[in-house]
Amino acid sequence: MDVVGLTPVIPVIFAFALPLTSIIVKGNRKIIQAYALLGTGLTLISALKLFELVYSSEKPPIYTFGGWTAPIGIIYEVDRTGALITLLTAALMFLIAIYSYRYLEHEEGLEWYYTLYLGLEAGLIGVLLTGDAFNLFVMIEVTSIAAYALVAFYRGRKDAVHAALKYAFIGAIGTTMYFLALGILYGAFGTVNLADLSAKVHGLSFPVTGSPVGNIVIASGVALALATWAFLIKAAIVPNHFWLPEAHPAAPSPISAVLSGLVVNVGVYALIRFLYTVYGGELTPGLAKIVGTLGTVVIALGAVSALFGALMMNAQRDVKKLIAYSTIMHMGYLFMAVGLGTQLGLQAALFHIINHAIAKALLFLAAGMFIHAIGSRDINDMAGLGRQMPMATLGLAIATLSLVGIPPFNVFFSKLLLFDALMEKSLALAMVIVVSSVTALVAYMRVFYKIWLGKPSREVAVGESKSMAFVVLLLAAAVVVIGLAAPVILQHYIEPAATQTMDYKLYIQTALEYASRLKLL
Amino acid sequence: MSTSEFLWAYLWTVLLLTLAVSLYGIIARPNMLKKIISLTILGDAVNVMVVLIGYHLTYPIAPPILPSLSKEALEGFVSSAVDPLPQALVITAVVIGMAVNMLLAVLAIQLYRLYGTLDVREIAKRGGEE
Repeated sequence: MDVVGLTPVIPVIFAFALPLTSIIVKGNRKIIQAYALLGTGLTLISALKLFELVYSSEKPPIYTFGGWTAPIGIIYEVDRTGALITLLTAALMFLIAIYSYRYLEHEEGLEWYYTLYLGLEAGLIGVLLTGDAFNLFVMIEVTSIAAYALVAFYRGRKDAVHAALKYAFIGAIGTTMYFLALGILYGAFGTVNLADLSAKVHGLSFPVTGSPVGNIVIASGVALALATWAFLIKAAIVPNHFWLPEAHPAAPSPISAVLSGLVVNVGVYALIRFLYTVYGGELTPGLAKIVGTLGTVVIALGAVSALFGALMMNAQRDVKKLIAYSTIMHMGYLFMAVGLGTQLGLQAALFHIINHAIAKALLFLAAGMFIHAIGSRDINDMAGLGRQMPMATLGLAIATLSLVGIPPFNVFFSKLLLFDALMEKSLALAMVIVVSSVTALVAYMRVFYKIWLGKPSREVAVGESKSMAFVVLLLAAAVVVIGLAAPVILQHYIEPAATQTMDYKLYIQTALEYASRLKLL
Repeated sequence: MSTSEFLWAYLWTVLLLTLAVSLYGIIARPNMLKKIISLTILGDAVNVMVVLIGYHLTYPIAPPILPSLSKEALEGFVSSAVDPLPQALVITAVVIGMAVNMLLAVLAIQLYRLYGTLDVREIAKRGGEE
């Protein structure tokens, strides 16, 4: 069975069949939940198989849709970076589906929730596996539309609808700009396949599509600027961040976890594909100058985001808004690392994507347990709840300690790596990590103090649901285990992934082997 | 400058102006519905641009339909037909754009139900509180 093509298809099928299934089962919540767990579970198994396959083979595996190879058809080409983040995505989506059931017990429309949820998963996995810039556009749109609709899940709430509309608007502008960038790339290079684009950029030959037309330096410059703008919007980097602090808190907490942990990664991953696969390695002087400028801009915006996010965290009363600003801060770190263009930078970014996703999901889910218990997002209303909800408090404690970078939790090690990678460039950039982390620590400690030691504003008896506590504990364990096993994970998973992604020639070569089998008239 | 070159330059100028106007509409118009209309204009301008990228200024230009399946016909076809791939890309983008616009319209209706207005200044003033 070809797991490369299968992995994104499973959630698509489950998503499309769900509305009909829910009519057949007459909206029975238990069956719908079981269905969603089956869908996300099968995707997880498939992602696991894919992960094994990619890490055990030297070359990135390729799936050709309908048997049409690049550059004529759409291909999925999965390198280790893609496979690693796919496994992370599938695992988190499965766990969050378990959590969602109790969180949404008082809400109508579980079937629509899961239709969008599975659609979102399909889009995310498609983004990570695709080897085609246009398919990347389609998959980003699939992810985005599901995300916009999920933000508006509480459709009777003013803040949710307003935030979703704002998010959809800015997102639609971004993806339109990316589409224009694709048109320009196609006009200059005559292809939208990533391997083919990379070959043309590096002056290598590729069958069928011929040689570039016109001035490829100007075309690349305009296209990269537009595409990067779109990715900056998707990842909420200052000055395109303003939708995130409204959209992420307005969604149900499990969706906030998905949005903050996984969906924002789309922007980072797409930028990695463009900067490392298409425009990586040795370039002609004109192109090198453009990529260098872009890297500098990305690093600068990332640094501003990190500091801005950390500062704004201290001004929030809404606990989810506070966590949302922390996401902006961490996205800033990732863009700083990706902008470096070095192998160490890529390794740091990859490891941080994984650690941040797990810790941030844990933080949102733990905070979600409090919100579920009292029905409010205000930190002051949560005062003193900590003692009544030990599991949620434990999750919150581990997540906050990890996110600010306290050893031995996982984010400490990726921050260390980020620090090293940025030190190669300049001390000032490395200090951004330290300063923003300390600022964030202050904000987190305020929340923690309030929840643990604060005086309750009213007497409420609250309990913890077992399934929600289970997911939180599992993620908390993952944070600790990844932290303790950091050197092993770095050596066995992160380093090979970064090495393979840096090696754009291998990426081209693998696609070329398929392309050379094409029989023309 | 020949007529076709003039038309070509004119078309691109108009398209870029349309792009600028639609961005102005998105940023400056306070009415949510006007913003959505501007967004569709932005999408359409970009779609036309991408279709134009597949066009080449050498006559005769034929539509991308293969007359018959032979090697000679194919050679003539490749030298005269417009590039069909941007059109295929645009079809996909149009469909996706429709989905996004539909979602935006639904959200705008819901926004009107909740606030009783589509003026973003008014909505911003009232904030997200219930």
